[in-house]
This record gives sequence, C-alpha cells and structure tokens, in this order.
Amino acid sequence: MQIKILLSGDGGQGIQTIAEVISRAAFEKGLTVSFIPNYGLEQRGGVSLAFIKIGDQEIVYPKFSNPDILLIMSDQSRQRVLEYISKSKKIIDIKDYNFYLQEKKINSKNYNIFFLGFLTKMLEKEKIYLAEEIFLALEKKLSSKPNWEENKKAFALGLSFNF
Amino acid sequence: MQNNKKQFLTGHEVVVQAALDAGAESMFGYPITPTCEILSGWFESGKKCLQTEDEIAAGFGVCGAVLAGEKSFTASSGPGHILLQDSFSMAEAMRLPVVLIVGQRGGPSSGTVIYSQQEVILACFGGNGEGMRLVYSPSNLSELYLLTRRAFNEAWKYRYPAIVLTDGYTLKIRQNVDFDQFKKIENIPPISLIPENKIVHWPNIYTAEEELNIVLENTKNDFENIAKEIVSFESKEIEDAEILLIAHGIVGAVTKIAVEELRKQNIKVGLFRPITLRPFPKQELDKICGWKKIKKIVVVESSFGQLARIVRDQLAPEIDASFDYLQKPGLGIEPEEVIEFVKNIKI
Repeated sequence: MQIKILLSGDGGQGIQTIAEVISRAAFEKGLTVSFIPNYGLEQRGGVSLAFIKIGDQEIVYPKFSNPDILLIMSDQSRQRVLEYISKSKKIIDIKDYNFYLQEKKINSKNYNIFFLGFLTKMLEKEKIYLAEEIFLALEKKLSSKPNWEENKKAFALGLSFNF
Repeated sequence: MQNNKKQFLTGHEVVVQAALDAGAESMFGYPITPTCEILSGWFESGKKCLQTEDEIAAGFGVCGAVLAGEKSFTASSGPGHILLQDSFSMAEAMRLPVVLIVGQRGGPSSGTVIYSQQEVILACFGGNGEGMRLVYSPSNLSELYLLTRRAFNEAWKYRYPAIVLTDGYTLKIRQNVDFDQFKKIENIPPISLIPENKIVHWPNIYTAEEELNIVLENTKNDFENIAKEIVSFESKEIEDAEILLIAHGIVGAVTKIAVEELRKQNIKVGLFRPITLRPFPKQELDKICGWKKIKKIVVVESSFGQLARIVRDQLAPEIDASFDYLQKPGLGIEPEEVIEFVKNIKI
C-alpha cells in the first residue's frame, strides 16, 4: 500500500502546516511516511509545494510525478503543477469550492484547514486514517495558537463536505 | 534519542544527532539553504556554536578548534561551499580532521535552494594544489547518520579532512529513522594536535619546492595506504549483468529500485553505488567491469556528468565497455525514468 499526495498553494497559505499534520499523523500511526517541502527563496508569495508518501513499505525517493491526490490552493500554484494535473488520479482545486467557502463564510486564513478536513475524509475513505487521528495531530499543532476555534470549524466543514 | 526505536526526523535533525553522538563539541557556520537547520539545530542543542560573518571564517574557525583538540564541524552549500574550500585546502595541507556537511543545491552561483548533484567535483577536488580528503555520499537518512559518524571517526583516525556530501532533498525530507542499528558505533577520541605549554612551529608554507614535494608525496602515500580501509560501495545484481548502472547518493537509491524492477522484466542490469567518492572504490569497480559480460556502463546523476568524470578517470583503461549517460542537472530522477532509459538501450 502506498499513497502519494501533492499539496500546492501560495507561500503563507499554510501548505507546509497541513502537510506536517498529515505526515505526523501517519508516523504516529506506525506507517512509513516521507514528507518533503519544496519552495523557492520567497518567504511569502512564491509557490509552496509538499510531496507526501504514506505506506507500509520503505520509501526510497520522496518525490513523484503521478500523485494519487493533488491539492491546488491558488492560481499561481495551478500553473506550477500543470505537468502533474494530467497524471493525477484525484484533483482538489480551490476554484471548484470557492462558492462553498464563501457561502460558509470561511476566512481565507483557514482555507488550508478546510482542505485538510476535506483530505481527511478522502484518506479515511482510502482506509489510511480515521478522522480522529488527523484531528489529534492538528490539535497538537494548532490548539494553543490563535484562531483555533475558527480552524476547528473549518476542519469540521471540510470533513462534512459532501463530495 | 537512541533509546526509541523509530523517530520521525528531517535530514537536518539526523546530522545534528550524529554530530552530537560523534562527540562534536562545537560548530562554526554561516546559514545557507538547505543547511540552515543544521546550524539552528546545533545552536538549540546547547553546545558551543558560533555564527560567523561568512563561510571563510566558519571554515578557519573549525580549523582552529580541531587544532585545539576539539571535534568541530561546519555545514554549507553552493556558494558557501566554494568559500569553504579555502580553509579546507589548509586542512588538507596540515591534515586537520575538520568535518564539513555539504547540502548540494542547484548551481551555478545561487541557482536553486532545493537540490542537485552538482557539487561533486567541488567536494572531491575543490582545493588548490592536490590535497587529499575523504568524501562520503549517503543515499538515505540512515546512511546520512552513519556516514556523519564515520566522517568524524575517520577524519580523526587518519587525519584527513572529511566531507559528507548530501543534498537538499535528503536534508529536508522528514522520514521514519531507526537508530537502534547504530548503537554499537564507537567514537575515535579527539587528540590534542599541539602539546600544551609547548611552542610548536607548524608551517603550511614551505621555502623550497623540494620540501613541499616530500610532504605531498607522504600525504599521498598515506592516503593510498588507508584507502582500502575506507572505500565503501554497494553493488546489486552484478553477477550476470550486461548493463551496469552507476549512481551515488539519493540517485543511487532510486537506481537500485530501477534495477529491481528491470530484473523482474528479465533485463540483465546491475548497480554499482560508490558510498565513498574519495577514495573512490576503483579496484572494486575495475573488478566488476573487468568481467567480460559488462557491455555498457550507464552513469545516472542529477548533473552534467560529474560522477561520470570520476568514473571515467578511475576506470582501468583496458576495460572496453561503452558508456551511456542519464543526466538531469539540478533535477531529481525517478525510478521510472531510469527504467525507461535502460529499456531503450541497444547493446
């Protein structure tokens, strides 16, 4: 078993934060996991990518060109991952969810956590995790920080989204 | 840390842990991606740490510390790696056991901060004159730990400067690491290179060319004598191989997977992965290639042929296998690309 997840967005959107939560939860569960961040010099405004592999076998090489799940969180990152789009099995693109994000009045600061909830549901369906396992890792990482309530709400909305 | 069976660590954290376990007392450094977190991680460990004004000062700081009998190291990349060659040349001249961790990034100049295998020639032969140094190329996090420990041990045992040549992927990756297997490694203790309370004249400049020539010859002879104790490599499926893939570091690990897959498809391919790039496992490679069966040597690397230059230079001239190259400078290489390349080779 192995699942490959590529997360993409703008620097500052929190791509690395959710990548860390997903991979930490996999490690805590005893799975084999590799997570490699990929971004340029920019602290903000550049494209930020995270390559994650989760499985039960040793992982030799952290990158891949054919993700099982590809998350696109911005226009700029959509351009950056163009070559991955045709090779991805499932694509979650923010442009398809804008209506929902606005309807539910989710703050753009919490979009990453909404998509984490969304991804969690997918990964639960793939029998990789239970939702509680990812939530626990998220709680560990963010519960002492400001906006925890908003993040919790965004996670729940992502998790309950009917896709 | 070593009590727990598995940890979820980055390459940076592995290097810091290995340096601590090796008995390093100090680090001098100037931050540069992808090695910044080695410096910040070392700082957090509470050991002696100095952020210098640049890599030139960092390298000479390490030289000073080892002269005083202390295990010390630095870490850098790309343009910083160039600046460190100045002090590293002095370490070669005086045979100082300095240790340098290089995280290769793309080049030339600032290039990318991410990944490449483009600092091989610089790491192996970047000094002025013809000094001798040890260069190790780890293919995964366990090996990164092991080779960092070896770099400290062998630098102090044989008195040559040592480089652990890794890359941005290997340092930035976060992965499961099992330290249990390394519990038995023993440290070579540091020695005081200058006796206390004694005035020692220890030159690294010579008045007469004959004088220097003797030192150069001795250094080279010593290096050749210890080489057999240091050279390491991994080989796989070489017994009946017709095509031999040569790759190092993380690309070596990728190539190994490709070999396993190609064997399932009945393609007679083998792997040779040098773990020490200097000294290079020349005799072992000659032996493998000397078997009549090897018809083609393919060097796979994330550069325009830096490993290939070393292989061609080291390989015995009577070996007549032809060469082919899979080169992706500054880019990672996936197993599928190696498989595709090999399947299209005509012998």
